[in-house]
Amino acid sequence: MLKIKIDNKEYSVKDGSYLIEAIRSAGHPVPTLCHRDGIEHYSSCMVCMVKDIKKSSYIPSCSALVQDGMEIDVSGTDVKNLRSKALELLFSEHRAECEAPCRIVCPAGYNIPEFNRLIASGDSERAREITAGELKGKTIMCIRCPGYCENGCRRKKVDQPVAIRNMKLFIAASVEGAIPDPSDPVMNEPLPKTGRSGRRFSSLIGKLEPGEQEEWLKECAGEIIRSREISNLRVAAGEAASCMHCDCRAAGDCRLRDLAEEFGIRDPKGKLIYSPIRKKINFQTGLVFENAKCIKCGLCVRVCEDDGKEEPRLCFLNRGFVSIISESLTGRFEDILQKQADKVIEVCPTGALSRFKPGQE
Amino acid sequence: MITEKNTESGCNCSAGVPTREEINSVVERVVESTGKGSDKVILILQEVQKELNWLPSDALKHICEITDITPGQISGVSTFYSQFRHLPSGRHTVKICAGTACHVKGAPLIIDAFKRELHISEERNASPDNLFSIEEVACLGCCTLAPVVQIDEKTYGHVKPTDARNVLDDFLNNSKKKGTVNTAGDPEKWDAEIRVGIGSCCVAGGSREILDEIAEMKEKYDLNIKLKPVGCVGVCNQTPLLEIVENSDMKARYTNVHRGQVEEIILKHVRPSTFKNRLRSRINDLVDSVISDDKVYSQINLPVEKREKYLNNFLGYQVHLATVNSGVLSPDSLEEYRMTGGFQAIHKCLRILSAKEIIEAISGSGLRGRGGAGFPTGKKWEISHAAQGSPKYVVCNGDEGDPGAFMDRMLLESFPYRVIEGMMIAAFATGASKGIFYIRAEYPLAVSRVRKAINDCYENKLLGKDILGTGFSFDAEIFEGAGAFVCGEETALIASLEGKRGTPHLRPPYPAVKGYRGKPTLVNNVETLSLVPWIINNGADAFSRIGTDRSKGTKVFALAGKISKGGLIEVPMGITIRDIIEKIGDGIAGGRKFKAVQIGGPSGGCIPASEADIPIDYEKLAEMGAMMGSGGMVVLDDSDCMVDMAKYFLTFTHRQSCGKCTFCRIGTKQMLDIITRISEGKAAISDLDELEKLSLYVKDGSLCGLGKTAPNPVLTGLRYFREEYEAHTKGICPAGKCQHLIKYFVTEDCTGCTKCSQDCPVNAIPFTPYERHLIDQELCTKCDNCRIVCPENAIKIIGTNA
Repeated sequence: MLKIKIDNKEYSVKDGSYLIEAIRSAGHPVPTLCHRDGIEHYSSCMVCMVKDIKKSSYIPSCSALVQDGMEIDVSGTDVKNLRSKALELLFSEHRAECEAPCRIVCPAGYNIPEFNRLIASGDSERAREITAGELKGKTIMCIRCPGYCENGCRRKKVDQPVAIRNMKLFIAASVEGAIPDPSDPVMNEPLPKTGRSGRRFSSLIGKLEPGEQEEWLKECAGEIIRSREISNLRVAAGEAASCMHCDCRAAGDCRLRDLAEEFGIRDPKGKLIYSPIRKKINFQTGLVFENAKCIKCGLCVRVCEDDGKEEPRLCFLNRGFVSIISESLTGRFEDILQKQADKVIEVCPTGALSRFKPGQE
Repeated sequence: MITEKNTESGCNCSAGVPTREEINSVVERVVESTGKGSDKVILILQEVQKELNWLPSDALKHICEITDITPGQISGVSTFYSQFRHLPSGRHTVKICAGTACHVKGAPLIIDAFKRELHISEERNASPDNLFSIEEVACLGCCTLAPVVQIDEKTYGHVKPTDARNVLDDFLNNSKKKGTVNTAGDPEKWDAEIRVGIGSCCVAGGSREILDEIAEMKEKYDLNIKLKPVGCVGVCNQTPLLEIVENSDMKARYTNVHRGQVEEIILKHVRPSTFKNRLRSRINDLVDSVISDDKVYSQINLPVEKREKYLNNFLGYQVHLATVNSGVLSPDSLEEYRMTGGFQAIHKCLRILSAKEIIEAISGSGLRGRGGAGFPTGKKWEISHAAQGSPKYVVCNGDEGDPGAFMDRMLLESFPYRVIEGMMIAAFATGASKGIFYIRAEYPLAVSRVRKAINDCYENKLLGKDILGTGFSFDAEIFEGAGAFVCGEETALIASLEGKRGTPHLRPPYPAVKGYRGKPTLVNNVETLSLVPWIINNGADAFSRIGTDRSKGTKVFALAGKISKGGLIEVPMGITIRDIIEKIGDGIAGGRKFKAVQIGGPSGGCIPASEADIPIDYEKLAEMGAMMGSGGMVVLDDSDCMVDMAKYFLTFTHRQSCGKCTFCRIGTKQMLDIITRISEGKAAISDLDELEKLSLYVKDGSLCGLGKTAPNPVLTGLRYFREEYEAHTKGICPAGKCQHLIKYFVTEDCTGCTKCSQDCPVNAIPFTPYERHLIDQELCTKCDNCRIVCPENAIKIIGTNA
């Protein structure tokens, strides 16, 4: 057994254990992104940093072996600042939106992309439920709103915005009490400010490079008939299918976003760019890879490490700032991970690897 | 088999696209000789690239088909190391050194000049005729000849931007000639022994031609001389160096020898053996003296004292331990190494000393790792000795990637047997049975010398089974690095040996306990190993008597930059920086003012002239914010800009970062962005604080030494030269270096000779004979050509605000 001091309290730890285990079993939470129990440690994200007091240096606790007599600071200001800086750096190249632009500018904060997807897949019942849920017994705000959502809609820059407002109103008509009477005093109430107060952290994409706008079109597979006026559900489904899924598939399950909120990170204004936004979608296996969301933690590479030559998979390319996760130079994205797509999607701490669900999406 | 496309364009397959069958047969042939293990991936890629000149994706595919290598591994590895090319390139590669010494002497302008001359664009790195491609290399290790350009194996030193065409022409005209040198002589009674340096710097300076010339003379006059190529003398800025030894006391040395002088020098010392030849030489001499008066002023006729004063100063303050017998030993003669005391240390170790006694001697000597961090060598050996596991390995770290440092290259080139002996001692002491020399691929000469030395040792039973009949067995081999600075870090080096991407991991476990293939692996730097035989022969005390309290012995430095007499020097620890610069280096070149010295390369820092009296010592340098590093010492004068220097180093570390940890991968990028803004005059004063804060985070948060030390050049810059940074935020570069903040200006001294106009590559100077020239600032690319060619010195660099 080894003796170790964590935040000034002494503990006994088994020889050969890693710091993170010791610290966690001592009751201190340790944030991590690139680390997963059961997968070889890698020390990439550096958000699990702790201070080795005796050496006056910082070490990633996920890959540091406990040594006898260590004194570790896990909650000091220095440690917090360093962890938070690591997150800030990661966000500075995280060209991704947690929430879609339409939802961010929506004064009511309605979950528009999800609504669109339900309409497109023909599940109008569920779309109605969501709408009703968001109203919480009040009237729908769209009727008073000029349609900020459509102004923010990324599709607008490609051809024309998705007819969100009309679709929303079309569905709301079937919700009791959603559409107010024109004489209702609520019609004269001002709209809430389009600030995002009270809502969750959302990373931003920064300036788009030429050609990047079109990448989102890949989300809209199949033939689409556009219409501004929504007269029936079939027309609505056609129009809704033109939604480009700007919201992140991992919005509710992103460790990077959770940590940003925990550490109170502000998204950096300028984003570092070295490679364009690219959406790679395999419509057979449903694997989606968005390089601009990747934090290069390598979990997806390591989780398949022991599989030998079984099936083509993801690997690192290049060195340093320009390193990326990719299919191999000799293969095609369409051929990789035929059997193990779920495994890599599950370990990805962000929305870089996710699942494309035809029908539902 | 050559494709139609290639025959049409008239070049061989190296510049075009080879067929699938061609590729497959190359790959199969290579794999046959290398083996199919996944750890062989780097070697296989290197060999395939040697044949095809690049790596077509079909080649990668076929390698995966017939070996254990996976597509993921081959993609990751081949894109990680700079050596590998995935696009076809020109038949010849123009390597332009971007090392520190070359940078301060204008390498960026040279790169621009060659790009212009060869019409190389962003999209296509090959000249239109597919003859040349350009490659920027971190350091060619010829710092004293800066700026240096290497085309294939031929090196050109002191290149000016206006020389690009000449260099290319010279290469094309001379590339076919290849002389072989006959060095044999009558061993019994030579009239003289002629020693010619054949270290990389000397070769780059033209010593091969000198050798050829002497060999020709030997035939022509039937001279009874021994022609002997020797390793580096360290006087690298005065190459080629010729030394004539008539008997043991009589030595004459000539520096900066050029081909035309050889005959005269030799005949001055050696009499032709027959009367007819003597007469011939006499007449030649007579004719020469009539038709040329160059001779009168050439250094050949200077009195000996004057000629050698500089050399004596240069060599006088040095202490040669790692480089003992420099300039005397032939680098490829095992016999000579033995005659001068070589392999006595390993004899002593194998026959008299126990492993424990050897480790005690090394510990007692106070020797610390010469790779940069200064970890006590004895301690490392002890850990490795105690570690469980078999077999154990010793790795000689010769991945000297530090731009501006070339001491490991010189040691490997000049004293390969000594490094091998050092490694054998380390192996015996730690119980290792296998040794690997990790040498960077940019050092082909070092690789071939060590390869020959290893073969010699095998032939002489100094390597292999039961060495010298003592029962000790040890094998050694070479692994060529593929171009990644980060592989100098020992854990990354081991990853690279194992055929992986060279990313470091957190220690412990230390390689000494769990290293190559999971076995105990002792990793020592080249210089560290070269000092080992000396310590064993002369005793720990003799070594620890040299130096300071905590830093013992000597350190080899590569002295370059704006120094009068640069070169490779070995000095005792504790010597002051000022002594090195003023006494050994003979002060600053060109009468300029000594501003700072950059020690330790990209991990080190700039120490200002005002602090030059500090002694060289690991701790002292660290205190100053610099670092011993691997020993690059680049001297800067008042025309060097500290912001530009910091930007240069950051660009380097940023490019060389492996990309594993957040702080190094993204942090160095953000730092580089800020410093670029500063150098362009676009930064606010608050950016300096931001840069400083970020630097400290990167220092604290990075995983390995590369990231932890990358901010040093910036931090020392801000510490000692803050006012210079502040000036940049006001749009002024006091040194007149930062391109965005300067312009070229023609003074009234202009005579209208039109030279500048003719040499301007972008036609920014109208052709106006006998009138004062004008520079169109819109068109000017600041290539510096006009200023170089102006005979009146009428072109000045001024601030954009002026």
